[in-house]
Amino acid sequence: MSGNRNLGLVAAGATLLAAAPLSAIFERWTWLIESAIAVAVVAGVAALTRALRAPLWGQVLGMLAGLVLALTWLFPSGSELLAVIPTPATLSHFGELVRGSVQDMRSYGVEVPDTDPLLFITVLGVGAVAVVVDLLAVGLRRPALAGLPMLAIYSVPVAVYVNSVPPVPFVIGAVGYLWLLGADNVDRVRRFGRRFTGDGRDVDVWEASPLAAAGRRLAVLGVAVAVLLPLVPVPGMSGSLLDTLTAGPGNGNGNGRNGQGGPPGRIDLFAALSGQLNQSEVADLVKVTTDEPDPFYLRFGVADDLEPDGFRVTNPSGRPVNRDMPDPAARGEGDVRQQRFRATVEITRDLTMPLLPIYSELAGTEDLNGNWLYDNDRQLVYSNRENSRGKRYSFEYVRSTYSPAALRTARPLPADHPLMQRRQTETPPVPEVEDLVKRLVRDKATEYDKVRAIYDYFSSDNGFSYRLSTEGGTSGKDIVDFLTNKVGFCQQYAAAMAWLVREAGIPARVAFGFTNGSNRNGNTFTLTNRNLHAWTEVYFDGMGWVPFDATPAYGVAGSTRSAWAPDTDAPDPVSDEPGAPNTPQTAEESPGAAGPDAADRDTDTGLSVGSDTPTEQAPVWPWWLAGSLALLLLLAVPALRRLTLRRRRGNRAATPAAASVPDVGVGPTDTPRVVVVGADADQARADAHAAWDELLDTLVDYRVRVDRTETPRSTADRLVRDTLSDHAEAVTAVRLLGRAEERARYARDPLAGQPLAPALRAVRGALAAGADRRTRLLAAFLPPSVLLRWRIALADTSARMVALTGRNRHRLLRWNPRRLLADRAAR
Amino acid sequence: MTQQTWDEVGGLLPHDEFRAASEAIVANIEQVIEGKTATVRLALAVLLAEGHLLIEDVPGVGKTKLAKALARSIDCSVRRIQFTPDLLPSDVTGVSVYNQETHDFEFRPGAVFANLVVGDEINRASPKTQSALLECMEERQVTVDGVTYQLQTPFMVIATQNPIEMEGTYPLPEAQRDRFTARIAMGYPDAGAELAMLDGHGGTDPLNELRPVSDADTVRQLIATVRQVHVADAVKQYAVDLVTATREAPDLRLGASPRATLQLLRTARAVAALEGRDYVLPDDLQVLAVPVLAHRIIPTADAQLARRTTDAIVSELVHRLPLPHDRKRSPYDTRPAPNNGRGPYEPRRP
Repeated sequence: MSGNRNLGLVAAGATLLAAAPLSAIFERWTWLIESAIAVAVVAGVAALTRALRAPLWGQVLGMLAGLVLALTWLFPSGSELLAVIPTPATLSHFGELVRGSVQDMRSYGVEVPDTDPLLFITVLGVGAVAVVVDLLAVGLRRPALAGLPMLAIYSVPVAVYVNSVPPVPFVIGAVGYLWLLGADNVDRVRRFGRRFTGDGRDVDVWEASPLAAAGRRLAVLGVAVAVLLPLVPVPGMSGSLLDTLTAGPGNGNGNGRNGQGGPPGRIDLFAALSGQLNQSEVADLVKVTTDEPDPFYLRFGVADDLEPDGFRVTNPSGRPVNRDMPDPAARGEGDVRQQRFRATVEITRDLTMPLLPIYSELAGTEDLNGNWLYDNDRQLVYSNRENSRGKRYSFEYVRSTYSPAALRTARPLPADHPLMQRRQTETPPVPEVEDLVKRLVRDKATEYDKVRAIYDYFSSDNGFSYRLSTEGGTSGKDIVDFLTNKVGFCQQYAAAMAWLVREAGIPARVAFGFTNGSNRNGNTFTLTNRNLHAWTEVYFDGMGWVPFDATPAYGVAGSTRSAWAPDTDAPDPVSDEPGAPNTPQTAEESPGAAGPDAADRDTDTGLSVGSDTPTEQAPVWPWWLAGSLALLLLLAVPALRRLTLRRRRGNRAATPAAASVPDVGVGPTDTPRVVVVGADADQARADAHAAWDELLDTLVDYRVRVDRTETPRSTADRLVRDTLSDHAEAVTAVRLLGRAEERARYARDPLAGQPLAPALRAVRGALAAGADRRTRLLAAFLPPSVLLRWRIALADTSARMVALTGRNRHRLLRWNPRRLLADRAAR
Repeated sequence: MTQQTWDEVGGLLPHDEFRAASEAIVANIEQVIEGKTATVRLALAVLLAEGHLLIEDVPGVGKTKLAKALARSIDCSVRRIQFTPDLLPSDVTGVSVYNQETHDFEFRPGAVFANLVVGDEINRASPKTQSALLECMEERQVTVDGVTYQLQTPFMVIATQNPIEMEGTYPLPEAQRDRFTARIAMGYPDAGAELAMLDGHGGTDPLNELRPVSDADTVRQLIATVRQVHVADAVKQYAVDLVTATREAPDLRLGASPRATLQLLRTARAVAALEGRDYVLPDDLQVLAVPVLAHRIIPTADAQLARRTTDAIVSELVHRLPLPHDRKRSPYDTRPAPNNGRGPYEPRRP
């Protein structure tokens, strides 16, 4: 039972650690104290019920009751019995606190102050998690599952913080979870029985169990591998964690999860814009064919949430595209002309994002599966699973054209309109903008006139001009800067106009897509990263979202103007003829576009959303080539090592020592021994040793047994007997090698004057002739002798390390306070 | 008297003469013992290593014949002792008798006062008599009545015995066995040799026609030459390793003594010299391990129950023991690394 008690305490501690991420949303630490009290009560009740041997349901009920008592004590209504017994008044007080917490959540931004409702909901949540964790970890002995409720706590700050959550609290929570898992497994190991050391005696209390040590080592290794593996970049693949971490904000990969199929709402379409401005490379991204004579822009994204720091993309919601589409024609009224067209889009492999470019408004698709969803409100096709890379699809769409007269009939939106509910007209307070809008829309009667006034404001008459090399950004300050400097590109024009229109009380948003570009072939447009564009969409009651492109047309290749939003810089006002989209300035006619190249150079390249632009994406094959070469080189290392060894030894053996020593036996008195100069004798010895080592390595390479108990002579005899019996030359050679080594080792004078290199060659040749193909290949390319040497070296090193760490551990264990406990227990 | 010096032992022999002399002795003996060249050479090696030889085998395989042939091939003093259960120590060592002419006690040397002593059926004598050989074999002297008499050089005891399982035998005590440099077995002759023996021994005993081909002086020179044979450090190390292995072997109750190491190396020198080398090889030690070590060691009761002979145990040790290298450690050298004896997980008791 003591194991259970320990585990219960660990579960409570782990729950508190897992609650660490909540520190990111509270201003102060009151929540931690109150949560700790609740968790302590839960853990205490759990221990008590287990001590009373209550059944599992009894334990759960007890813990819940404890939690309620703790909550009552912490958040009293004033009518409790003995301050802890809840009464009906307490429960209604709790209900009020819950309702209040919902209210507080709406009204406060992070970090929140200590309000009773928020504290109550926090303590309730943490306490409930403590109950569940205790139940799973101790009651059901499934501590791995306890990670789920712990993760639930972590999801709270994740939901609150849109951008990022501080990582340290998560690490603390994870440590708590690992602690729980570790404690449970140590407990399991204890149940195996008594623990023994390797040498057969009991483990002392103060000693770490060898099993536990092994488990800890494995755990550390596993965590290290899990953390480090994603950091390893795989050649030819982008998107590894390391890339994401090291990528600066401006190099195109910085915009978060760029199109690996993640949720589209997380994409910041504005991000990385300024870094992309001076893109020198051009890559085809989309090829679109349509039967509409002069289509408006191809569109894929929208930013409709305006925060103090600028426009943001929100999470789309929609239905699968292969289901029935809402009919856009049904909305048409009065003077809105609607025509059905059909288009086919081919996306190249350079454009990767979870969105598909379409012409609005979509009426039906082909070739797309149910993974692709259509958000009718935002007019987006998106997917949470797939991405656009290499997709090809056809769709039908309805092109609405509006006459200014028709637009003038649109009334202001009623306050209960869903768009008003979704705060599509709210703007952060910026006094300069408010003044400007007030001035612009003064005396304008209709919504359309207000919008036109704002739209017309962005004209060259008012000093606005186009330049790529400006700072991006759509925050209030950026907008004011833009309105002051009057220099910018599509992003700023689109965002500024949307901001101003919203300020005027009309819903507006920023749309993203492609212009028609400068490369048109019949009905087919080839669109590049230079044709990426942003413009404004304004909502008119009864008409829907109407596009306005405030960016100066000369800056945008393939810019298109319409009857309701004519080019403000054009010398002649366009006819008011309703209907047909007015396209006086396609790329060919655009004043700023002398030719396709010039147009391309100057065009707006702001948005290369989610695509690996060509400059960023170097060709993949050099990586593969380099990787393969590196791999080959790595594989060749043993063979090269063997080759150098052999060459060195061969050089030794090829130069026999100059002095010749006769193979005399006993009897140095009468025949004076030929005295060998020491250096030469040493040389001859070393040569013989080198030759013998080479012979042994060759034997290992060719899988001939090497016996460490054999003398050189018996090795040579065995080879002659077993392996080389058919090769007379090799027999002589191996005997010579054996004799040379034997004399080098044991005799006064080494054998000299005998060429050992040819002997080695002969033996090697004979061995190779006798071996099968596989052995020969292995001997040549992956010599077992080299591998064996390395393995032995590795084993020696690790044995030394183990011995060293073992000694150090014993030294450290001398200071272990648990030894004193053990001594006391023994007494 | 002190141990004999080099000069007393004799001068060194040149290579060729050494070879001629030793080959002559071997060839001479082989006239009597056919097809046992290795055994004969080993017997000669023991003589040249200044050791004593124990020939143990079942009756009738030529033990005594080998002993006598070796004795007769060398022109030196030869005595023979037939060990019987009633043999007394004084019969071996000698005895002081009263000489009535001189009215004094006079020492009558026993059978051991010779260059070659052939002790036949040594384990048929009682341990008391066997023990009479202890001093003379190791110290080459005899002490009777407080007077010490030196023995001659060369001095060699060649004893034969039946295996101890035979009836009417007293096993030799350990101390006695340890004094024998080598124990060899004759073994049965192969078919061809036995056939040749029938032809040769049919009429007369060739032993009778055996003439000495060498003398004590030559043998002394041979012994001096053998002492000159070079032993590399690695070989010495191997000898020590081998003997240490018998002391540490789990199958053995008693390992080999330091005297065994000494005699192993001496015999190895002799074997190397007989093969015409002036240096000892580990191969020599491997060949000699069983003859020199096996009769000195005592297996444990378990090993005896498992019917593991000492010969088998020693030869297994030889096959398991890696060779020491006199140079830096090679990957094929399995000598235990330092600090390998003690595992890393052996915390000391508090």
